[in-house]
Amino acid sequence: MGNILPILAEPQSFSATERLLFLALAAAPVYGFCRRLWPIVSKILHSKKDPGFHLFPIGRRVRDFVWEVMFQAKVIRERPLAGFAHALVFWAFCAFALVTLNHCATIFGLGFLNPLGRVGRFYFDFAAVFAVACAAAICGLFVRRFVVQPKWLGPVSWESGLIALLIFALMATYLAAFFVPEASAAARALWWAHTITLLAFLPVIPHTKHLHLLLSPFTIFLSRGGFAEIPPLADDEDFGLVAGKDLTQLVSLQAYSCVECGRCMEHCPANNTGKLLNPKEIVLGLRGYLNEYGPASEEPLLGKYSAQEAVFECTTCGACEFQCPVGIEHVPIIVGLRRGAVNTGAWEDDQGAKLFLALERGSNSLGMSAAERDKFVEKNALPIFDGTQEYCLWLGCMGAYDPRGREIVVALVKVMRHLGASFGVLRKEKCTGDPVRRLGNDLLFQQLAESGLDALAQNRVKKIITICPHCVRTIQEDWKAYGTPPEVEHHSEFLARYTGQLPPAQDKEKIVFHDPCYLGRYRGVYEEPRRVAALAGELVEAPRSHERSFCCGAGGGLVFLGEEKGQRVSHVRAEELAATGASVVGTACPFCNTMFQDAFASKGEGAPELMDIAQLAARGLPE
Amino acid sequence: MKIIVAIKQVPDRDAPVRIAPSANWIDERDLQWAMNEPDAYALEEALLLKEKAGGEVIVLSAGPERAGSTIREALAKGADRAIHIICDDLAARDALGVARLLAAAIKPENPDLVLTGLQSEDVGSGQTGVIVAELLGLPHATMILQVEAIDSGLKVKRELEEGWFQSIELPTPAVLTMQSGGNKLRYATLMGIKRAKTKELRTVNEAELGVDSGPVVTLEQISAPTKQKSTQILPGSAKVAAAALVEKLKTEARVL
Repeated sequence: MGNILPILAEPQSFSATERLLFLALAAAPVYGFCRRLWPIVSKILHSKKDPGFHLFPIGRRVRDFVWEVMFQAKVIRERPLAGFAHALVFWAFCAFALVTLNHCATIFGLGFLNPLGRVGRFYFDFAAVFAVACAAAICGLFVRRFVVQPKWLGPVSWESGLIALLIFALMATYLAAFFVPEASAAARALWWAHTITLLAFLPVIPHTKHLHLLLSPFTIFLSRGGFAEIPPLADDEDFGLVAGKDLTQLVSLQAYSCVECGRCMEHCPANNTGKLLNPKEIVLGLRGYLNEYGPASEEPLLGKYSAQEAVFECTTCGACEFQCPVGIEHVPIIVGLRRGAVNTGAWEDDQGAKLFLALERGSNSLGMSAAERDKFVEKNALPIFDGTQEYCLWLGCMGAYDPRGREIVVALVKVMRHLGASFGVLRKEKCTGDPVRRLGNDLLFQQLAESGLDALAQNRVKKIITICPHCVRTIQEDWKAYGTPPEVEHHSEFLARYTGQLPPAQDKEKIVFHDPCYLGRYRGVYEEPRRVAALAGELVEAPRSHERSFCCGAGGGLVFLGEEKGQRVSHVRAEELAATGASVVGTACPFCNTMFQDAFASKGEGAPELMDIAQLAARGLPE
Repeated sequence: MKIIVAIKQVPDRDAPVRIAPSANWIDERDLQWAMNEPDAYALEEALLLKEKAGGEVIVLSAGPERAGSTIREALAKGADRAIHIICDDLAARDALGVARLLAAAIKPENPDLVLTGLQSEDVGSGQTGVIVAELLGLPHATMILQVEAIDSGLKVKRELEEGWFQSIELPTPAVLTMQSGGNKLRYATLMGIKRAKTKELRTVNEAELGVDSGPVVTLEQISAPTKQKSTQILPGSAKVAAAALVEKLKTEARVL
């Protein structure tokens, strides 16, 4: 260490008057900070306990914390430029923790970092590097907020400007102290300027979006984990999120953690097609509700702060939750609000009631007679599962009753026969309950899950393969609430293992693969279906793909609800896929397939061909 | 208004129906059961009347133990209490026998209105409701789509053939047999099922009702309809095929 490194100038001693002045100045901001923060913390703590919450295993929580909080990975990955600027500010704050503590301690002569000592000098210089980066970053973010004004950030608030100014002032007053003589009046002035900025910062935190500074590390550490996991109901009086008394500690914590960055709305298919739903407003609505009514209230949650219509426009695609940098779990919140409405009968919707009644009495979500499935099984000579075969081929409602879904099953069966895989179908099969689960009908979902688990156990099924990512998700994750489901795999995962044994198609197509939400974001399967699709040609990517894939509009039971407000989600996505110039749109979900079929049919001539990856894999097989 | 809704548990639409070895009824093993659809509409109408004007809805069903699940479904959808007439051999009884059981259970309740489906989806005789009315000595109307309470009693919309409807008024107490499709059915909810657990479900048997409900009509034999495939593909151009079609409609089908 030479003399080349600059030295931070600090006042060497403080008078008793100065100490008194410091205490007097600090009292109001500290009081304001506590007074504003306490009601929020109290509301979170007085919310209902989360049923089924376990702190352990803690490894996952530590990993999420390090990755998402310390490394700011999610913040940076989804918005690299603004994200990196944010990370610089965050890292500077971390580096400043010690500096600030030392700063306040010096006035009482308790400073533990000596600017002239080796350690102190090194640390102050280390912090200075972050301070420079932070000052630059906050200027950049200020320009973004007040000049560029991305619409996702919502209307400009004066507090954001104030905060940016205070952060800049904090850094500037710190850095300036490296350029003034030690023990000078200037050093003392800078010390006080830094202190006053610091104190001014405190009371602005709790009632603005900057509360995320304090809460989001907890939110991320305590999150339920998994993805879009729907929590169990607590007891006989729990019907989902009906009123304030149903808000759990995690939901309340998440409501107060929102930083209003708008990533959720930027990626929301409903919000992008002119519908009422805005996932950010759902979260902020809960915050508004908690501020007005508190966590013990009987006032309905759907009303002043959130509209029932909006809640039932969600496709549960999970883009919002996937994007959220502060650990808010939007899907469980939205499904929770739906549960509250459906489990109490407050939701009245003709199409929804039709779906529920079809599944109360019948076997499938399409409202067809089970005899139609028998005919399909018989016509295609599908073997009946008898416990000797390796795979139980789960047809699902679409595979058993929908004409296009059936074509996908037939193609998959052709490939499985070519590969010599042994499989059979159940004699009888009911809907897995996916649409009713996402629409919030717990009664019907429980009946379907129990009947499904029972049928699989009776038939001694060990492994399931299916063409429907919704069936995969529901059997594997949601059925767990009522028993132990067998292993389930999507046909893309199965087919990807055997691409080496499948002859590629003769005619090479230009293919764009559409990631289904329930296969991609929900299951993390992105490359397998692409490997299978590549058998039939060359792949191109849509502008929004992989974890940023844009929903087809069918999920969350919405395919059964009919009319949509604004543009159709499926049309927007279909157009985006067609615009890639691909001759084939590859899908891996029968719901996506049927949605795009309708969208392309309305487009008329010149629409690309629509093929499931099973059909693409079967292309190279001999007739 | 105090309303009694008589409901029946019938095999589910998708249940695999097979004829029993005795050949006089179906094999009831491995069946799923559900509420008879016209009865579900009768229940819906009763619940709507109650929601409009207040009162009580009582569900009544004759059947074996398993009928309890359908009764609980009715309680879950909003009925206030239930009476279950335990009857293990419902299939061996005729419409008169079942009507006697129902009427005996209805009488002490003195309801303002008795609603039931116009027929059952399994036997489909369409008689039980009207025999109940006769046994109770009450006015009745059949094939009702909607019911409105008026000062003098009831105003009902009755379905006739060929798209015609009839509007009639009748005094209460009365018995109405309901047609499907007059309203939209409500779905069962978790809250409804939980609340239903605390509702009264009284069971009675034939002896307690003090009626002789032995059958006067017995079912000798049932059989599945034989499949006949008579699809014909008419060959040739559209013009030739159309001419052949008209010829066949005139001479074979005799509809032109």
